[in-house]
Amino acid sequence: MKILVADDSRVMRQIVIRTLRQAGYAGHDVVEAENGKEALDLVRSEAPDLVLSDWNMPEMTGIDLLDALRSSGSTVPFGFVTSEGSADMRARASAGGALFLIAKPFTPEAFDEVLAPVLKG
Amino acid sequence: MTTMLEPSMTDVEMVVTEVWSSFLGDSDPLLIGPPATLDVGWSSAVTVSGEWHGMISVELPTGTAEEITRRMLMVDATPDEDVADAVGELVNMIGGGVKSLMPGPSALSLPVVAAGRVARPSDVVEVCRFDATWAGAPLVVSVHVQNSHH
Repeated sequence: MKILVADDSRVMRQIVIRTLRQAGYAGHDVVEAENGKEALDLVRSEAPDLVLSDWNMPEMTGIDLLDALRSSGSTVPFGFVTSEGSADMRARASAGGALFLIAKPFTPEAFDEVLAPVLKG
Repeated sequence: MTTMLEPSMTDVEMVVTEVWSSFLGDSDPLLIGPPATLDVGWSSAVTVSGEWHGMISVELPTGTAEEITRRMLMVDATPDEDVADAVGELVNMIGGGVKSLMPGPSALSLPVVAAGRVARPSDVVEVCRFDATWAGAPLVVSVHVQNSHH
């Protein structure tokens, strides 16, 4: 399986990739994007099985990325990993077609809980 | 209507300690207080705007910022670019936590990072200040809101 990790922070991309490993998802290919626009291009060229995206990013935000993907017909499983976990953000994520929203700071257990149905199902 | 609400110290403390233990481990716990004079090497800030307006900032001595970077990235070398990224991500997570405590909807800005102290607008007042010690060095997390007197 291939997982696309979109976050403008290299530190956070590293932490997400490390947490994936700690949660038991070590064997997957990981593709990294620095913003939503780059992620949109990479979904087209790399055809990932899952997108894990930050919300606040320059160029294109995570929610705009999700909108762009869904309006172009892509049904790639999509989840947010963001520092904002308010009810409002969760509702917007869900309405946009996201499967889950993991709020930073997170644990490997939180990753496994939402990823198991997508990657092991 | 502008509301001049402030997060409670207990809430801010909870957010900061959770971010710290999640990303920096529990081997060096974050110890609360005492207020210290800080030789600020790096600082970062995010603003929240919407139903609630505020600015959350983190100030760190250089050695602490570098140690945070080493632990977050699990590397030995700490070029400025990585330190700025790590310190920015730290305030992003703390700011996101504080935002979720306050009335919404509101938007969180991208982090601003400075080598030295982040300049604050002159019309803001500090409503919450969290002094702590981590790995033997002091640090400060503070929340500012716009001064509402006209």
